[in-house]
Amino acid sequence: MRLDIFTMVMFFVSFFGLITSRTIIKSIVFILIMQTSVVMFWLIVGNMHGSLPPIDVYNIDAENISDPLPQALMLSAIVIGISVITVSITMFNNLFRKYETASWDHMEKVYSNEGEGEQ
Amino acid sequence: MIDLISQLLPFFVIVPIIIAVFLYVFSSKQMARKVAILFQAAFVVFAFLLLRQSLEGELLLNVGQYAGFLGIILRADYLAAIFVLLTSVIFLMLAIYSLNNDNTSLYWFLIFILEGAIVGLFLTRDFFNFFVLVEVSTVVVTILLMYDVKRRNMFTGIKFVMINIVAMQFYLFGVGYLYMITGALDMVAIYYATQEMDRAQLVLPYVLVMTSIAAKTSMLPTLTFLPKVNSMLGAHTPVAAIISGLQIKIGVYMFIRVQTVFGGVFPEARQLFLVVAIVSAFAGVVLALAQKEIRLVLAYSTMAQVSLIMIGLNIGGLYSFTGAVFHILNHAIFKVALFMAAGMIAHRYGTGDITKVRGLFRHSPVIAISTALAVLGMVGMPLFNGFVSKYFLAYDAPLYLEWIINVINLGTMLVFVRFSAMFFGRPNAVISESDSARQISTFVMGAACLVIGVGGVWIMRFLFGLDVEFTAAEVAEKCAIFLGSLVIALLVYRLVLAKHEIFIRLRGFDLSFKMLCASIGVFFGGFLLFL
Repeated sequence: MRLDIFTMVMFFVSFFGLITSRTIIKSIVFILIMQTSVVMFWLIVGNMHGSLPPIDVYNIDAENISDPLPQALMLSAIVIGISVITVSITMFNNLFRKYETASWDHMEKVYSNEGEGEQ
Repeated sequence: MIDLISQLLPFFVIVPIIIAVFLYVFSSKQMARKVAILFQAAFVVFAFLLLRQSLEGELLLNVGQYAGFLGIILRADYLAAIFVLLTSVIFLMLAIYSLNNDNTSLYWFLIFILEGAIVGLFLTRDFFNFFVLVEVSTVVVTILLMYDVKRRNMFTGIKFVMINIVAMQFYLFGVGYLYMITGALDMVAIYYATQEMDRAQLVLPYVLVMTSIAAKTSMLPTLTFLPKVNSMLGAHTPVAAIISGLQIKIGVYMFIRVQTVFGGVFPEARQLFLVVAIVSAFAGVVLALAQKEIRLVLAYSTMAQVSLIMIGLNIGGLYSFTGAVFHILNHAIFKVALFMAAGMIAHRYGTGDITKVRGLFRHSPVIAISTALAVLGMVGMPLFNGFVSKYFLAYDAPLYLEWIINVINLGTMLVFVRFSAMFFGRPNAVISESDSARQISTFVMGAACLVIGVGGVWIMRFLFGLDVEFTAAEVAEKCAIFLGSLVIALLVYRLVLAKHEIFIRLRGFDLSFKMLCASIGVFFGGFLLFL
């Protein structure tokens, strides 16, 4: 089984989950799964042919060393992912206190009624 | 000389961040703000020097000194340098605009951090670096939008953040796929790699990257959501102006870059973009007609104008392309001017409702004149900047497309005929006076529309090296079209729109988060099938 295809499937399944999820917190969880699958994809790209990690470089063949670049890039991608997820969870927390609901549709309804009241 | 300036390239990212830190500490003092504005003005001068240098030849800096394509490469060709100059000028004007505001130090800090991120974005040649800087700017913009506790609009904000995250995941996935098949992240390296590659291999990464760009530029998938964010009433005027004037342009810039890499491989994708851009331009015009809040009107007309730029970029001729790039600059300038004026109107009269504000010319001539200049630029009045860029944007277009562009322009005119009702009539009661710093910066931006328009041909020659002249016959034709559509717009407004608010039902038009995701998915699937 090829792992890169597996992560691709995981990506689109979680995207489908985004379309169908009813509550905000579930959407955030699906975005997290999406991020995880992208990170996994990158890591697999760095290690396509069962190569070894570049730790003890003097004792493994030069041809068999896996690519360290994706790991380094994914560290920053994970940090960014965590920070944007944190921002959205903070905002959700705020919204939940205000509207006392976690549902997209319900919140949309309350919110649009509020907007019309202002005009 | 070129080597020396190349060595200075990282400072274009670092200097705004230094200003940001400086202001974070000292921004409570009026003096410190003025010093920061002086530094920003010096930055504009350096950006101009960078532009002049880059017109002679591309500037490159290999950060970390790794040979070949291993390190991150900063690059300033004319396109990047133009965008850097534009960014610095806009931030200078916005800093002057908010000179006397009682903003906290956090506001000043974030504004300049945002400038650093956006400049870095334009200078980088690395796909991954691009991702990082886009995410940084998204987070900063979100915090700026949410920054006013009392008036903030959380629900639109959370949609904005989450859609952006989803779009950037598509982008990251696409870049990862590109890395898998080419082993490079550098745009030029990928360009060389794709020359020898099978077309079928490149379809998936191209579609993934393009889906995220389409979501960012408020093309079809996220049709209605960016304008809502632009105009969030809680946001400060400068923030709204940045989002409408610059944030969308990031997507357009990314589009140009990705098209230079993949344009040769997928020439037929242009047709699809043209169709999508035309649809979204009409949608933007119609939705703008339905609104009555000034900022919402402006935000929806941004959608129409960006679509116009996308049409120009996808026609395929050199003149249309440069016209579209020139229109990006012009659009940023008049849109920022209009947003500043809108902020001043809201501040002065306590309302931003088009149907209520009246008598601007008599009561606040500075606001009225700068608004009028910007509006004339936007509708493409001869002698103003919009005329020059729209002239060249339609230069290479086939006849039917030229007429579509004219109709879109007619729609824009219709929007702003409605807008101009604010100039006349009995003045409203003034709530608070606006200070001189705001008036000066708004007026400068408005006047820039006229100056750029008068020197348009010269600027085109200087920036793009295109030797162009207006022929009298064509100018006469364009003027006739302009006058004709102005008359039609006035008639339609008088006869139809002023009496019946036919678009009123569309006013609250909004897509839920699920629908937005679904539309991204539909765009992705449709694009994949199309190729």
